[in-house]
Amino acid sequence: MTVLIDNLARFLSAIAGFITPLALFHIAWSTLLGIIIGALPGLTATMGIALITTLTYKLPADLAILVLICVYVGAIYGGSRTAILLNIPGTPANAATTLDGFPLAMQGLAGRAMGVATSGSVLGSFIGMFFLATIAPILGNYALKFQSFEFFWLAIFGIVISGHLTSMEDPIKGWIAGFLGLLVAMVGQEGIHAYERFTYGTTELLGGFALIPAMVGAFGFAEVLSVMQNPPVKRAEAPQDSVFPKISDVLRYWRTIIRSGLIGTVIGIIPGVGEDIGAWVSYAAARRKSKEREKFGKGSIEGLMAAETGNNAVVPGAIIPALTLAIPGSAPAAVLLAAMFIHGLRPGPLLMVESPQFVYQVVAMVFFATLAIFIYGVGLSKPLLKVLAIPRTRLMPIVFVLCAIGSYAITSRIFDIYVMIGFGIIGYILRQMKYPMAPLVLGIILGDLMDKNLRRGLVLTDGDLTPFFTRPICLVLWLITFSSIILSIDPLRHALQEIFRLAWSRTRRLFSFR
Amino acid sequence: MARADFLTGLALIFLSIYVLIESWWMPRLEHLKAHPLSVPGIVPAFIGMVLLLFGTVLVIRSIRRGGHRLGLTYEGLRRLFIKPGNQRLLLTAILTIGYGSFLIGILPYWLATGLFIFVFIVLFEWERGMNVAQRKRCVISAVFIAILSSAAITLVFERLFLVALP
Repeated sequence: MTVLIDNLARFLSAIAGFITPLALFHIAWSTLLGIIIGALPGLTATMGIALITTLTYKLPADLAILVLICVYVGAIYGGSRTAILLNIPGTPANAATTLDGFPLAMQGLAGRAMGVATSGSVLGSFIGMFFLATIAPILGNYALKFQSFEFFWLAIFGIVISGHLTSMEDPIKGWIAGFLGLLVAMVGQEGIHAYERFTYGTTELLGGFALIPAMVGAFGFAEVLSVMQNPPVKRAEAPQDSVFPKISDVLRYWRTIIRSGLIGTVIGIIPGVGEDIGAWVSYAAARRKSKEREKFGKGSIEGLMAAETGNNAVVPGAIIPALTLAIPGSAPAAVLLAAMFIHGLRPGPLLMVESPQFVYQVVAMVFFATLAIFIYGVGLSKPLLKVLAIPRTRLMPIVFVLCAIGSYAITSRIFDIYVMIGFGIIGYILRQMKYPMAPLVLGIILGDLMDKNLRRGLVLTDGDLTPFFTRPICLVLWLITFSSIILSIDPLRHALQEIFRLAWSRTRRLFSFR
Repeated sequence: MARADFLTGLALIFLSIYVLIESWWMPRLEHLKAHPLSVPGIVPAFIGMVLLLFGTVLVIRSIRRGGHRLGLTYEGLRRLFIKPGNQRLLLTAILTIGYGSFLIGILPYWLATGLFIFVFIVLFEWERGMNVAQRKRCVISAVFIAILSSAAITLVFERLFLVALP
């Protein structure tokens, strides 16, 4: 009880800390910018956070992270506008929103659909925020028990699960992306003997590829290329009905909201599995449990609510492992994590020991961002439509200029612009061939963690692999990792199914015989 | 997709073999009495082996689906290039890579940026059959956007964030 009161006091003190004109000003512009980024097809939350990170270098750490979280929450919400009005997901997180959002708009209920998206997003964020406040401190304390063996498996687990869930139809492509990310992370001076790997004598590569230019390239430049290749987007029309969320919609679908919020949070906690998966899984669960299943895909309020609650609940969920384990729960959270390091913060197991207050500051940041999306969602419908009318031929060159200068600004090296361009081209090609980007990013982030901990673990045990497989947490992690691989290989899965079927039928026969 | 997978698989196999060779040649640091399992090449070799496995699976799978029959013809390539989407992609790539790799550093930043934005807008918005007034509007709006954005970005980064621009 005392712990609860302590935590509540920390949260309230964090809230009070942000009630200053400067912080409120930053919340206002960054959330609005996030919504605009999310609403513009082709500009994703990851790209937005990566670009805005470059604008926060000079801000104090807490305000910089506040700005980035506001952009993150805003972008995931903003994408619903385009999904409802144009049938195009503003960000990949809003793909499930199009299924029912657009049919509702076609029925003349675009305003109501936007209201549902607003209430779903706000409530999803609040549910995720509740778990961020309650789970992060527990996980943070638990993570203190992790040793090299656990961290090695955590990295492999993250890559494999993220690869599987972001490329469900062809998991091998997700795994390839993840391991390519790990390979990219091998470039530069390694952390144990300071040997320069794959640097070929260039001083620019000594520190490896900088994360922000790589991400700006993979998500920003690659997106510029895709947007320019695709046919232009048609113009959106203003909704005729009210966009104010209806209490009756919330009360009627409260079960769906809570379920989707929980699913979103859990999906967020899984490393590298982002908002899009959160929305799809929440949508599928809502459809399975719904009494009005036949309405799904034809303009179901429940389906729209599930998708929008699910994707926004992922945001705080994805921040949980980023804060406590320094392992991002999604691609935007990966950039957020990189930004935290740039600003001198040290997320990871020691965070709860060194600065427990920071977790509650992050909770307060999500709280303010959520309030801001509600205010903008209700009040700024028509001006937002004007933003959607900006032609891509005018927006994309400016986006690319920001990609270039943003990559350059971190260390003032032209080399980082080349890194951004290189990763942009690779990212574009991989995306065209259906390789997901999230495991690649996760691989780049986790490469160093895996490298150091595998070697440290092997040295500690003098080459004995047993602790890697027998320590309780390791056991759980490798069992899930290998099951995920085995179950996605068709012949192996069929063989296993056959074995279980035979074993089951024999057991039944045995018991019936007796 | 089978053809693309075949080529990606081959590229992955070559890449992983290269990584394995590089890892093998990385120092073992015996003179520092380093533990043999802590040497720098061990983790890249592990990643190389996994990628080799994935690359092989991708190649075998794509061969089964007929992906090894690439069927590259002049006509096929020509059709690929005349698609409007691919033309737009190629033009975007040329302009962006040209700006990022060559223009920045040669010209002052504000000029390179303004020039890039102006050329980008004009090239993509200029259409055949436009009358003089439309052409004028296209060029004037491109000049306006180029000057405004270049000045704003230069000022924000140079004066506000104190970045020494290229």
